[in-house]
Amino acid sequence: MADGSASADRVMTAGLSRRAMLAASAAALPLFVTGCKGIQALGTPPPPPADVRTLQTAISAEEAMVARYAAALKLLAPASVQYRDLAGETAAYASARAVHAEHVAHLAQLRSRLVEPPGAKPAAHPPPLSPSSGPSPAAGASGRDAVLGELAVAEQAASDRLIGGLDGLPPALAQLFASIAASEATHVEYLQAARRGR
Amino acid sequence: MTSASGQAGQATGSQQTIAALQNALAAEQAASYGYGVVGARLPQGSAAQGTAGADWVTHMRARDELTAMISARGGQPAPAAVAYQLPGPVKTAAEAAALAALLEDRVAQAYLDIVALPESGLRSFGARQVRAAAVRAAAWRGSTQAFPGLPASSLRS
Repeated sequence: MADGSASADRVMTAGLSRRAMLAASAAALPLFVTGCKGIQALGTPPPPPADVRTLQTAISAEEAMVARYAAALKLLAPASVQYRDLAGETAAYASARAVHAEHVAHLAQLRSRLVEPPGAKPAAHPPPLSPSSGPSPAAGASGRDAVLGELAVAEQAASDRLIGGLDGLPPALAQLFASIAASEATHVEYLQAARRGR
Repeated sequence: MTSASGQAGQATGSQQTIAALQNALAAEQAASYGYGVVGARLPQGSAAQGTAGADWVTHMRARDELTAMISARGGQPAPAAVAYQLPGPVKTAAEAAALAALLEDRVAQAYLDIVALPESGLRSFGARQVRAAAVRAAAWRGSTQAFPGLPASSLRS
């Protein structure tokens, strides 16, 4: 009884092995052909969904904003020889530093929502701008005003862009975008107040 | 022709929309009441009192707009409460400004529920209202926030 059963098992195993071998051969054939043609024969991967692209764009914009503030902080630093109005310098620098910290927080939250498949190119979205792409240096209180003014304009544009990109986003991501857009709008008035020396 | 399941889905979506609008209406009604307290505690004739008056009018207009939006969708706008419990004593100008900032925070949070709706126009409307409330809150507080209206629990560490 035991011998007969073992024999039947061997037959079944042999049968399965043959089928498995055939299936594996059939499956391997296209791969073999593909291998001859190179990796391009697999075709280009599908583009990421629209909401992922929107998120990637938002991340790039936030990276650019962080870089812009990093450049501005160098120009607004109280130790900078470019400015002589110490009280104004300190207020402007403190304001820009506070806003910079909020942009860093925005960027962290946006990045935390991006789930890229393993092996995806990390440079799917543009690299952050270098600090040199930020505001241009200018001496004195007028230079400080110009730097803060440029930042305020960039903040307003960023806020509008985020609100314009809400369609089609998952609810939680749309809420994050709206909240960040609101935060960036508050920066406009905050920077303008800093320009006025409040 | 619409399937029964499609109609049920639309009804659910409509209920979610009306619920979100009602939530924002409740926040606007509370803000309308609260700004009456804020204005009364600020120095008579001051710029701050003028700002509080303007903000009060803004909230009453928003309340009316939300009331109309709910009615247009077949809902019954919930009436305002007769009185509201204040979060704490409001006796000084600083406490009045803090109350105004808190009212705006709650308004922003309520409008974020509208942002979560799928309808494009409502999303945009909600986002613009979140932004306006955040700007007013920052003006009263004298500082900005990284995530106006978003509860800390919805942020990822």
